Amino acid sequence: MMFDSKLNRRSLLKLTGGAAMTGVFAPAIIGRAAAATQITVADPGGPFGPAWRKAFYDPFEKATGNKVVNVAREAEPTAQFKAMVETKSYTWDVCTLTLSARDILAAQGLLDPIGFTHADVPQLMPEAVSANYMGTDVYSTVLAYRTDRMKNAPTSWTDFFNVEKFPGRRAMRKNPIDTIEQALLADGVPLDKLYPLDVERAFKVLDKIKQHVAVWWTGGAQSTQLLQSGEVDMIPGWNARFQAAIDGGTPAKIVWNQGLYSIEGWGMPKGGPRAEVARQFVRFCSDPKQQAIYTEILAYGPTNLDAYKTIPTERARSLPTSPENLKQMAIANEGWWSANRSAVTEKFNSWLLS
Amino acid sequence: MSAVPAAPARSGGMPAWLRRPNALWLAVPGLIFLAVFFAYPVGELLSLGLRNPQGGAFSLAAFQRIASTDVYLRVLGITFKIAGNTALWSLLLGYPLAYWLARMPDLFRGRMLLFVMVPFWTSYLVKTFAWMIVLGRSGVINNLLMGSGVSDQPLELLHNEFGVMVGMVHAMVPLAVMTMLPVMINIDGRLVQAAQTLGASPSHAFWLVYFKLSLPGVAAAGLLVFISSLGFFIVPAFLGGRRETMLAQLIITQVQELLNWSFAGALAAMMLATALIACWIYDRLFGISTISGGEAQEGKGRIRDLGLAILALLARASGLVADTSRKLIGKAGNRVLLPVFAWLMIAFLVLPTLLVIPLGFTSSQFLEFPPPGYSLQWFETYFSSPLWIQATIRSFLVATATAFAATCIGGFAALALAHSRTRWGGLIFAFFLAPMIVPRIVIAVGLFYLFAKLGLVATDLGLVIGHTVLAIPFALVTVSAILKTYDVRLDQAAATLGANRVRTLTSVTIPLVKGGLIAAFLFAFITSFDELTIAIFVSGGIKTTLPKQMWDDMILQLNPTLAAVSVVVFVIVTVLLLLAERFRRVS
Repeated sequence: MMFDSKLNRRSLLKLTGGAAMTGVFAPAIIGRAAAATQITVADPGGPFGPAWRKAFYDPFEKATGNKVVNVAREAEPTAQFKAMVETKSYTWDVCTLTLSARDILAAQGLLDPIGFTHADVPQLMPEAVSANYMGTDVYSTVLAYRTDRMKNAPTSWTDFFNVEKFPGRRAMRKNPIDTIEQALLADGVPLDKLYPLDVERAFKVLDKIKQHVAVWWTGGAQSTQLLQSGEVDMIPGWNARFQAAIDGGTPAKIVWNQGLYSIEGWGMPKGGPRAEVARQFVRFCSDPKQQAIYTEILAYGPTNLDAYKTIPTERARSLPTSPENLKQMAIANEGWWSANRSAVTEKFNSWLLS
Repeated sequence: MSAVPAAPARSGGMPAWLRRPNALWLAVPGLIFLAVFFAYPVGELLSLGLRNPQGGAFSLAAFQRIASTDVYLRVLGITFKIAGNTALWSLLLGYPLAYWLARMPDLFRGRMLLFVMVPFWTSYLVKTFAWMIVLGRSGVINNLLMGSGVSDQPLELLHNEFGVMVGMVHAMVPLAVMTMLPVMINIDGRLVQAAQTLGASPSHAFWLVYFKLSLPGVAAAGLLVFISSLGFFIVPAFLGGRRETMLAQLIITQVQELLNWSFAGALAAMMLATALIACWIYDRLFGISTISGGEAQEGKGRIRDLGLAILALLARASGLVADTSRKLIGKAGNRVLLPVFAWLMIAFLVLPTLLVIPLGFTSSQFLEFPPPGYSLQWFETYFSSPLWIQATIRSFLVATATAFAATCIGGFAALALAHSRTRWGGLIFAFFLAPMIVPRIVIAVGLFYLFAKLGLVATDLGLVIGHTVLAIPFALVTVSAILKTYDVRLDQAAATLGANRVRTLTSVTIPLVKGGLIAAFLFAFITSFDELTIAIFVSGGIKTTLPKQMWDDMILQLNPTLAAVSVVVFVIVTVLLLLAERFRRVS
């Protein structure tokens, strides 16, 4: 039980976010007794499950004889991680983390080293590897528009914010993350000089477009729906969401220019009992050929750029890390957001209501 | 299923052994359960708002932060306004429907009620989604309007206050009708006749006699709808626009994304205070026991005079309106107005659910209406996905366990209250109803905090406990309703013939109130089966329930599986309701 007398209120508070998983997963214990080890990996769920089973889990099982069980993780698994390490009840052996979650966990010493460096796999994007993290996929926040509705095709955030020259129904994300960046980019801040974000300036730019935004979306699936149903003509959001609509026959295009990308990847809870196999698994996922396989289903970019040797050119065009797209974008600064998110969110909510 | 109505019976003629206060011990398990899993976690959550998130020391920082900006008060204001408008419109639209239903023969009314309750038992997610399809720019209504040339511009029906109101009122009208109906059925129709015989015009007879007698039901419906509406977060997120942000949305963000429990506690305190103020006002005006159909206290003095004056004014105004419309559409026309309105309301209530059925059979990758073609692929996806099937099975098991626990706890509590005549009865009754009054999101967050400490997060037991807390009030009220009409002389007879208390309970009382128990069981079952708020916090990973899985799907990959699942759920729930209706009639 995690209800330890040594735990004071403060540590309990920190734990609460995270679901004490004590005794939820019994199979792990059985796994150790057998010759093959069974590891539990937490992926983002949804379409990731089948895509990564095909690209990573099944091939890894075949190559090593170990078993991989995948479960869907919560959106921000930081609290679970903490609970797991502190109570030594390892529900997961490997888990998908965003860069910001990685930074929070690494700062508190809750991650195990992955056992290899960038020098071992030089074709990985340098941002994607650190001592205790290996990025598996790159997603990007981009602009999408309906080709059947927009006479004038927008090519930048400046165009999106220009309601006279580019008339059309617009949606934006009901969240300051990305939205602040888009406003600054529209106002002429160069992509490589975005951070630290000039929040005041961004709100001044947003003021101008506020009345022209018809829909404020809250969920990724909703953004797909808005574009697909024609509810809006232009919408910022995650590339794979829009690609799903385009693959389904929606007349729409993605503008990669001025896109902001970020990385998701594997991290391991500190001191896990199956760390050796987990490390093997993480290393396995850095393989370019395996990464190429998931792009058949997911429109996310492989972090091992050699993957493009086996990805068809047509598909490469809709992936964030293809050379053509990657050079038009920059990486979002999660560190800045970790420090400022609460205050800027409050300001943003207040701005929305006024 | 006359659920919401009823009260702890105040029957005379109780046998002496039952009248002794010790019958109250039957309520003790329920009291302990609610104290541990409802009062304690909610209190704990609220107290978090008074602690420093870094050290746990007493701190007013969270409340200072609320006060330092106007954004939270504004969101509270918006929440209050949306909930208030929802209550108002649910009453305005629900009253004539309930009135119409109240005058129908029992059998017909039972059937119609099934229709009225369709939205109540359709998942919030599915309803919301259906409204997106109906009201969108290229949605059903706009396509009709523009296709027929009535309008050349699509109407802005979605992503604004109108969209939110449609979604919320649609969800809440059934609750309003179900609360008002029993009160209306109990009104003696001869009183209206008597008033008319004594010279009152039809509109005076209605407003000053019928309407006045139905007021407790109206007030109870208004209160329940208002409080239920306070905690909404799905409808404003998907149907609302820039300004339609409700408090529950902010609480969820604080807990799940920003991990700021202290601030979430402070926001929850704000929401609870709103709900309690509404209850207090209600109690001042009508007396809290009327929620379950008890008799209202008669107003006194000036307020009463004022009320009567308003009613007289309404009577005169409606008399004028009726005269005018009689001139316009004739007497016969006037007479069909009510049925026409009632049928339109039923269509409004059923429409979104019906719309989802063809979507489940679509051949498209998206939820578009009308479907471009038909196929069974989404049912295949559902039935071949272990995740969906496990979620369905888990929901069934959790709902069954919840129904069992809630019916036992609520049933015994009802028995205790019916048999006890102490002054504690009213207080205990109010405590058992409290989970209905505290917004669900507050209970959910409080339970999550408690469960994290106990290791009950992501366990089925945790889900059952949470759902039981929510289902107890429904079970208690339903069983109390039956006990109210139960003839206790049968118990006496059994006792006279030598049966002990346990024997009397198992061989006489329980068989005779079977109908009520089954109704309570089903109520609790469906409460759990469609519950999302607690599931969001308490279930997770592979331990997901059906509504939680649908919610994840709505966030992650919105595809027609959602519609296919809804069809399956719809069929299951309809079968259950038909069974319940059958049992009710048999008993």
